[in-house]
Amino acid sequence: MRAKDEHSAGEYQNAPDVDTPLHNGDTLLQDDINPFDMMLQKTGFTPVGLVGVILLLALPFIPPFNQEYLLRWLIYAAFIAAMSVGFDFTSGYINIVNFGYAAVMGYGGYTTSILAINLGLTPWIGILLGGVNAAVLGLAIGMTSLRLRGIFAACLSWFFGLALMGLATKMVWLTRGPLGLRVPRLFETESNLPFYYTIVILLLATYLICTSVVRSNMGLAFKAIGQNMDAARTSGINPVFYRVFNFTLSCALAGVLGGFYAHFYGILTPDIMQTSKTVEVLAVAYIGGRGSLWGGAVIAFPFIFIMEIVRSTLSNLPGLNLIIYALLLILVMIYYPGGFSYFFDEHLRKPKNRVLRYLMNGRQVN
Amino acid sequence: MLLEVKELDAGYGYLQILRKVCLTIDKGEYVCIVGPNGAGKSTTMKAISGLIKPMGGKIIFNGEDITGLPAYEITQKGIAFVSEEMNLFVNMTVQENLLMGAYIIRDKKIQRDRLDFIFDLFPRLAERKKQLAGTMSGGERKMLAIGRGMMSNPTLMLVDEPSFGLAPQLTENVFQSLDVLAKSGVTIMLVEQNVTKTLSVTNRGYVLENGKIGLAGKSSDLANDGYVRKVFLGV
Amino acid sequence: MMAMSEKFSLEFNLKAGENNFMSKNNKAFVGWIKSAPGITISGSIILAVFATIYSGPYILVNVIITGGMLALVATGLTLILGVLNIAMFAHGEYFMIGSLTAYYVFTPISNYVNENPDSILAITGPLIAIALSMISGAIAGVISEKIVFGPLRRRSTDNWVMNSFLLTVGLSVLLINLHQLIFGADFKGIVRYWGGMPTEIAGVFISRDRIMAFIISAFIVLVFWLFMTYTRTGRAIRAVSQDVTGAQIVGINIENIVLLTIALSCALSGVAGGSLLFMYPSYPTMGLEPLYMAWFVVILSGLGNILGAVVGAFMVALLKVMTVEYVGAGWDFVVPSILIMMVLIFKPSGIFGSEVRGVLDK
Ligand SMILES: Nc1ncnc2c1ncn2[C@@H]1O[C@H](COP(=O)(O)OP(=O)(O)O)[C@@H](O)[C@H]1O
Ligand SMILES: [Mg+2]
Repeated sequence: MRAKDEHSAGEYQNAPDVDTPLHNGDTLLQDDINPFDMMLQKTGFTPVGLVGVILLLALPFIPPFNQEYLLRWLIYAAFIAAMSVGFDFTSGYINIVNFGYAAVMGYGGYTTSILAINLGLTPWIGILLGGVNAAVLGLAIGMTSLRLRGIFAACLSWFFGLALMGLATKMVWLTRGPLGLRVPRLFETESNLPFYYTIVILLLATYLICTSVVRSNMGLAFKAIGQNMDAARTSGINPVFYRVFNFTLSCALAGVLGGFYAHFYGILTPDIMQTSKTVEVLAVAYIGGRGSLWGGAVIAFPFIFIMEIVRSTLSNLPGLNLIIYALLLILVMIYYPGGFSYFFDEHLRKPKNRVLRYLMNGRQVN
Repeated sequence: MLLEVKELDAGYGYLQILRKVCLTIDKGEYVCIVGPNGAGKSTTMKAISGLIKPMGGKIIFNGEDITGLPAYEITQKGIAFVSEEMNLFVNMTVQENLLMGAYIIRDKKIQRDRLDFIFDLFPRLAERKKQLAGTMSGGERKMLAIGRGMMSNPTLMLVDEPSFGLAPQLTENVFQSLDVLAKSGVTIMLVEQNVTKTLSVTNRGYVLENGKIGLAGKSSDLANDGYVRKVFLGV
Repeated sequence: MMAMSEKFSLEFNLKAGENNFMSKNNKAFVGWIKSAPGITISGSIILAVFATIYSGPYILVNVIITGGMLALVATGLTLILGVLNIAMFAHGEYFMIGSLTAYYVFTPISNYVNENPDSILAITGPLIAIALSMISGAIAGVISEKIVFGPLRRRSTDNWVMNSFLLTVGLSVLLINLHQLIFGADFKGIVRYWGGMPTEIAGVFISRDRIMAFIISAFIVLVFWLFMTYTRTGRAIRAVSQDVTGAQIVGINIENIVLLTIALSCALSGVAGGSLLFMYPSYPTMGLEPLYMAWFVVILSGLGNILGAVVGAFMVALLKVMTVEYVGAGWDFVVPSILIMMVLIFKPSGIFGSEVRGVLDK
């Protein structure tokens, strides 16, 4: 899965000789591209990305992943992958870390759970309403943080998150507090397979929505705002609209994902709104490569698996997995701020072999 | 020779601005660098004062190689830099700013003496010693910046565009105070936009263009040079 | 060295406009009362008095103790923000390190004292533990600078505020889980530092530990303030926070100041953790609460304002104690969060902050 070179606010300024045309494929006349390549290019996939998607769809039938507990890991990985896409949509583009992202996700989850429990609403509609409700919250965060500089906008969203988590804990009559809600599951079955396909579809949808937005003119506006508000304003971009829109959309996505989370695990506690959950998503998004959208989604799978393996095999060393991910985050931030997507662009996208090059880049001239 | 800059290369990040710049200054001289905007005048001064690391070449001060030393060590060696942006401490009072200028002097008595000297030189600053630097007017800030540079009793002062953005009357003031300093034996290297004025007060000058020294000579000669007249004075 | 797009700096005032807090001038005082700091400070005092009359003096005692501790943590946070330009997310972890150190130092001491009740350690032991918690905080800070922030600063200062902030997030996760891995996740607490009967002050019984905790924090804040105001090094720290280039020009060694600042501010956080060990036992994630409380203080009082942070610390403490008292336990970060959000939204430069610089995206 891979979009063309969407680079984020300013971390490549140090590398002087990377010239990255915005859309490699655009150099070709539209008519020369066959419909297949055309479709790939429109949706922001490369052939190798498509192979990745197919692999994802086939994975539950390939041993060892056909075991239920590994499938549960896969579901969790896909969930984090989708979250990281939504998170990167804000942090990688308008350069504001939404530190309350997990809380927004939980807010969506609580919305659908409460509707399902108290009104008997079907989860499918509930999840959508959770997304809408989270979008309203995102609108609020976006509007209120509008005047603030990056880091304080992050603080504000963090406080939003803390307050939400506090409310979820204390409004016991509605949420049963720390005891948690028993939420009806999305499918009445023991098998994890339908859940897996649902989250994979959600992941793809999240990715497609985000890429289609950032590949329109809006993406450029986002980046302009992320790099320099003043410059953006003087060149006629209205930061108000773009910032608020960005927050609203990414929070809506988180809300939907939160709904899935609740209806998959069947139990919802305020714990999923913890700051540490946001940090987990943040780590994946940044290690994957900020501003790429796909980087976090790809990295989430090996990342979550390594974490789960470390946790389950070295259970006598609690916290080791989190130490590894903290170290990774620190090392990436200091020594390789471009993350995995930058590595991919630099070392894997330019093979000599024509077929490989096609696979990595899609259709392009020469 | 007080300062000798040999084939200095400098710039920002990967961007090289200065190419093989050579300069010398003798003790007691009043020297200027003129040149169009973006020529690299400020860059030269930043490189000498250690704010940016030279990419190549040598800077020798008082017979000592100071190339690549950090800024604070260069200040301790006796070079004071009054930058274009002034870099005052906006939330400190005038007096505190001046005392910060004497940071490398540990002796309280000498600090006092320097402070009195500066207040004599710029009575305006003495009147406003309790005012926050951030609330002063442009001209007063320039004075404060020059005064702060003087506080450490430097051997060489690098002054970058002291008249930039000032009203003509204030510009005159600033030039006068630099004159006083020069007469009192301080070696000064001045960068200015105001070419006519600058060439009329300094002893010697360099013309910097595109990061290279184009011309050098006595200020009076430069002022009469056909090329300088054409390019900078528009005659 | 630090080409940063966002810059915070340190200030020392509680001013709004020209009216000084300490002013003896009557007119100025009236003006001050009407200003934002005037309204909030006098409002807080009135609130505290009413709560004390209504519910009893223990409210005041709690506010003072929590506020004193918070003042230590928040001034440290403000200092790092002002000088290193780092929006610290790991500050609570130095608090945790301080309390952990105090626990492991004090436990053997207290065992020894139990066997030898007359030992001088009964009195000095806690002080040793608290002093060591301060030192360990400082050491942890220096190590973080050396292996985390320093390398990033040398590599690139592009987008510094955001990148360094993310680093502190990683650092926080790292320290929390190192604690869990090495020392376990259980509560490591002590019953008391100093034994003996509680002291009676104005009809309220206050334990010696609480009194000592307050004395220690008041003493440290005072010394710190004197240091920042009157010493050469303190002035240098302020100078760096106001203009890095200017500081280099006048001959200040920035690297030393950076190292000193982070050591100082982490020491403040560490000593807060150490001196409150008798109230808050040490466990991995204990740092989160002091962290966000300190952020509340910093945002409430304005960035990089040290005196403001001290006053703000008591206000936030009051807010917290009153919430617990009148709304209920567990609400103590809902209500303050919402109020601080209001501050961010309606008065983003903080109550004591100047309008010129700060949180606004201009
Ligand atoms: N901090 C900086 N980073 C990158 N380039 C810079 C920086 N400062 C100046 N420059 C560039 O260096 C060149 C010379 O600048 P400067 O020395 O300030 O010129 P002058 O003082 O002669 O007007 C200009 O092209 C300017 O854009
Ligand atoms: Mg210049």
